[in-house]
Amino acid sequence: MTTAVISNQVSQKQISDAEKILPMWKIIFSQFVEHRMAVAGLIIICFYVAIALSAPLIKKITGLDPEKQNPLSRYQKMMTTSQASSSQKEDAITLFIQNQPDQAKTLQDEIVAKNLIQVVRSEDALFDLVNKDSIEMKKVISQLEAPAKAELIKITKSFEVFHLFGTDELGRDVFIRLVYGTRVSMGVGVLVAIASALIGLLIGSFSGYHGGIVDTALMRVTDALLSLPTTPILIVVAAVDLDKVPGARLIVSTSNENIMKLVVILVLFSWMQAARLVRASVLSLREREFILAAKTMGAKDTTIIFRHLFPNVIAPLLVSVTLGVGNSILYEAALSFLGLGIQPPTPSWGNMLFNAQELITEAPFLAILPGLQILFVVMSFNYLGDGLQDAIDPKAIRR
Amino acid sequence: MTSFILRRLFQTLVVIVLLSYFCYTLMTLMPGDPVELMIQSNPKITSEDVTRLRQLYGLDQPTYVRYFNWVKTIAQGDLGYSRTYRVPVSEIMGPKLINTMVLSISSMILSLLIAIPLGVIAALRAGTRWDYLVNFFAFAGISIPSFWLGIVLIIIFAVLLHILPAGGTFTVGLENITTFQMLLDRAKYLILPVLSLAYMEIGIFLRFTRSAMLEAMRNDYIRTAKAKGLSYWTVVWGHGFRNALLPLITVITMSFAHVFAGATISETVFAYQGVGKLVYDSIISNDFNVAMVSFMISVTMVLVFNLIADILYGVADPRITYK
Amino acid sequence: MKKITLGLISSFAIALLPFQSIAALNNGELKIGITQEFENLNPLIMTMSATTYIYSMVGRSLVTLDADGRWVTQLAKQIPSLENGQAKFSTDKKQIIAIWEILENAKWGDGKPITCEDFKFSLEVASNPNVSVGEKETFTQVKAIEWDPKNPKKCTFTYEKARWDFYQLTGFKPLPKHIEEPVYKKYGSQKEGYEKNSNYNKNPTLEGLYNGPYKIAEVKLGSHVTLIPNPQFYGKQPHIKKVIVKLIPNTGTLEANLRSGTIDTVSSLGFTFDQAIAFEKKVKSENLPFEVMFKPSITYEHIDLNLENPILKDVRVRKALVYAINREELVQALFDGKQQVAIHNIAPLDPWYTADPKKITLYPYSKREASRLLDEAGWKLEKDGLRYKDGKKLSLLFMTTAGNKNRETVQTFLQGQWKAVGIEVNIKNEPARVFFGETTKKRKFGAMAMYAWVSSPENNPKSTLHSSNIPSEKNGYSGQNNMGYVNKKVDELCEKIETEFNPKTRTDLVHQVLKYYTDEVPVIPLYYRSDVAVRPTQLTNFRLPGHQHAETNEIENWDIK
Repeated sequence: MTTAVISNQVSQKQISDAEKILPMWKIIFSQFVEHRMAVAGLIIICFYVAIALSAPLIKKITGLDPEKQNPLSRYQKMMTTSQASSSQKEDAITLFIQNQPDQAKTLQDEIVAKNLIQVVRSEDALFDLVNKDSIEMKKVISQLEAPAKAELIKITKSFEVFHLFGTDELGRDVFIRLVYGTRVSMGVGVLVAIASALIGLLIGSFSGYHGGIVDTALMRVTDALLSLPTTPILIVVAAVDLDKVPGARLIVSTSNENIMKLVVILVLFSWMQAARLVRASVLSLREREFILAAKTMGAKDTTIIFRHLFPNVIAPLLVSVTLGVGNSILYEAALSFLGLGIQPPTPSWGNMLFNAQELITEAPFLAILPGLQILFVVMSFNYLGDGLQDAIDPKAIRR
Repeated sequence: MTSFILRRLFQTLVVIVLLSYFCYTLMTLMPGDPVELMIQSNPKITSEDVTRLRQLYGLDQPTYVRYFNWVKTIAQGDLGYSRTYRVPVSEIMGPKLINTMVLSISSMILSLLIAIPLGVIAALRAGTRWDYLVNFFAFAGISIPSFWLGIVLIIIFAVLLHILPAGGTFTVGLENITTFQMLLDRAKYLILPVLSLAYMEIGIFLRFTRSAMLEAMRNDYIRTAKAKGLSYWTVVWGHGFRNALLPLITVITMSFAHVFAGATISETVFAYQGVGKLVYDSIISNDFNVAMVSFMISVTMVLVFNLIADILYGVADPRITYK
Repeated sequence: MKKITLGLISSFAIALLPFQSIAALNNGELKIGITQEFENLNPLIMTMSATTYIYSMVGRSLVTLDADGRWVTQLAKQIPSLENGQAKFSTDKKQIIAIWEILENAKWGDGKPITCEDFKFSLEVASNPNVSVGEKETFTQVKAIEWDPKNPKKCTFTYEKARWDFYQLTGFKPLPKHIEEPVYKKYGSQKEGYEKNSNYNKNPTLEGLYNGPYKIAEVKLGSHVTLIPNPQFYGKQPHIKKVIVKLIPNTGTLEANLRSGTIDTVSSLGFTFDQAIAFEKKVKSENLPFEVMFKPSITYEHIDLNLENPILKDVRVRKALVYAINREELVQALFDGKQQVAIHNIAPLDPWYTADPKKITLYPYSKREASRLLDEAGWKLEKDGLRYKDGKKLSLLFMTTAGNKNRETVQTFLQGQWKAVGIEVNIKNEPARVFFGETTKKRKFGAMAMYAWVSSPENNPKSTLHSSNIPSEKNGYSGQNNMGYVNKKVDELCEKIETEFNPKTRTDLVHQVLKYYTDEVPVIPLYYRSDVAVRPTQLTNFRLPGHQHAETNEIENWDIK
């Protein structure tokens, strides 16, 4: 009896489920969620995007600077603390005395008055203080009473830097460089993927819709570009001197040359895949009834392309964008690794590897960390792309 | 059919010529020229020397003149002269070409040997934990920067474990050794570069095999074959895999076309004496002739393989006709 | 992924175990590691330092500069000079005529004697406009070579100009006429025809091409060269029975190879300075059988100041820039004190060197002096710790080659020191090919450009200081006075140095140039680089020269104990 009731209930629920008409995006979403690795990829990507966006915040909170070098504490191991050099300390104090002469004076007087340290000249008391080792210095500071003490503590705090991932060949903090590298590497990846998808969309739909000589010519160009050996050609293009290219300066100014140039180069050699994809789907869509209907109703070409064709190719394009981000990140890394991509001091995962390869015996982690980030992010994008593809493809095999 | 092939051949030739001009122009857009690289930081070179060398090398000519001169020498069957090594291009290219072939083909064979069985298993066990694991392995393969994998492999096997050489092509100065010992020595140097290259290819081939196999196993004839009572493995290999093979062969053919320039960065990391490294060095040192010849070989290979693939399609698939 | 991390963890664990011992040198074989590319060994055509390094094992010149910085003979019996009567002025005093006598037993590898004919042939080939010789003047400074047919070993060289350094003929290498003449006759009229078809190119193992202690057994460009003793060598036979020079372009890999015994020694064209210091520490801590050798060289690291920059036009600012930097601390902190502070463009190794404060102006580190000069120049310190004049910030652009770790470290070190006196310095670095190909020669470096000059001792500073060598559109951007330094007096002095035969007067002239150089500060001297090499403790008689004449000029003395 009970079993019959249950089966009855289930079947009723199934019926109501079947009767409900789910909107398209809900179907896609529910199918996407089934692909667990894709979801995991999405989460990881969100995490990295969050890091990239909050890089300045992280910089502010930790007080680390990706470009601040300390030649005296190079190749520090992970989880170590480095000390500022004595000249750096003195410079900080000089600036303090200059900007807040009164406060500095009270502190000096107090040190001298209490005879906390051996002072040769009273006006150098602060300098002598900071040149003591950190434990002694802290002890002395704690004995001070003047309100300016807070300021001094703030200054002395900046002398000690904690390095979660150690320091690199110029004594820069690897952690904050990785954070900023995320910004650059992912930024380049996303920018390239979107730009090349847009170009591919335009050229592909134009070519597919018009057919004829335009199509042949555009597709020959696409084939020709695809037949070039990617890596060597990218090396050449990356080395190109923009002053020798007429008109290049209009797009790329000297200030953002580095990153913009790389983006343009990567777009130049990656829009072809998207164009082919779009062209193929436009070719098949062109003969479909709804397009013919629009044509008979006298719609303009541009209307047909923008209103009717584009929405139908967006889905496969989205997949190609997602996969494109991963590829672009890999290419950026490869070029920067060869010293031709993002130029120092701007950190990117690729150019962090560039210097690391020379001293793999001294500091292997310098080579391993950036590579791991690349691996994580690219893999996440690939899984995400895979999940999207499965979700929008009605023929996709369910797991 | 013949007229189609002829037309395509002609088109390919035109594309090659246009691309060669494109590449040549790109090369001239790089800063500095061979003379500047030669005199870098040497205060003894006089300005007369610089002018004289520029003239001798024809660097004072406009790009198109230099391009035509280059085409002229190529047309005479002379590949030109490497300005870096100061020897004919053909002389340095030959042995390096063989090295690269050895590297690329062995990594391709290795990756096929691993990817195909794994791909088939993953497809047959689709949705299981096995499939997940294999998929993960494949995704890591296509996502890992191969040069970084190279560095990691060097750190592990050469720097830390000391069991494999960190780079190079073979041990120099070995004497009185048998061919077998020589091969063994070469193999030792091949392991790491092959591994770093193969892993990416494994990823690609694996994903491809898996999806092709899944597609094939869903066909009606599989069901028929199963219904006929054929053994499981006969169905899988004889019917399923055989049908998955066709798209797979296309992918393999196409990746074969990229054998030439695909290993550029890996060869640089491992200091492997192949064309990839040569191409990189020639670009960096503005060695026009070497770089151009490599570009042309590479482009030609890709285009010719494209053509072959197209023709094969026509032969294999009766639904495709060429006009 | 998991596998990789696991593998890494386990290998780090293994890393804690001590390294295996390094194989001892044996069989009288020496495998040398270099990181730089080498080209074909034609002595006229070669330009790369690695090629010179290898060539010095197989071919010798009339004279060379040894590791002590003295000129010594190789193929020649003695060095001609005015004092020993072997050299004299021509009647019009405009030329010099010197007698070079070649050693009786100086022979090519195939037993044919080296004669004046070989030198004359060399000169003829080098003068041909179809042959791409780099520094042509090395050869064409000799106008004619004559000899008495009865004694073809005694040659009379007539020089184009009466220059004091006429005897420094290291670059003037003989060519074996009996082997190379047929090729030259056939192809000499084609553009680059000779060098393409030369036997150095087609049959590099031909023994008649070489006259040094070794000859070539095998050459693989881009990979290695194998050398074996040349029984026809004029000097004593080398001790080491086989030398292999192996090219390993990646310095990290080079070190791994050294530790695994794939190579025995690292030449001066191997390790980066940083790496050498790190390796020396390891040699000490792990007690490895190596000695890391440091030899101060004449390679001069400096900062070119762009004299067209409105701020730098003021000499007081330039002086302040030098006073403000503590170069002693720099070399201590960054180089373990193993490179020397530079005070001008001439290194201590050079006979022309002087540190005499009466002759040149010295700039010891003094923040106070720097501040005083800047105040005097009108750059006043403001609240933000920087200096301003008429509302304009004292801000300078500082460029160097990107990816060169040493330079980038130095750069930030200096940036910090200048900031301490209120000078803001902005860093912009470019890849070497852009930096040298465009930026320095077209003087687009804003204010400061840091790089090095590699040269030999007693090198006339004309090419970098003479006003005619300011690169410009007119001279095809070919000069090397990248600062744009113009001083009529210095121009005159440089020209005088060229023809001054009295060594004392000559040195005086050089010191006068140095006086202007240090007074007017067109360049900030930083440090003289040190050459580094790794010597296995078993290898004896190995000396580092510290100049461009390679250590292999003494290879016949090397021995394995």
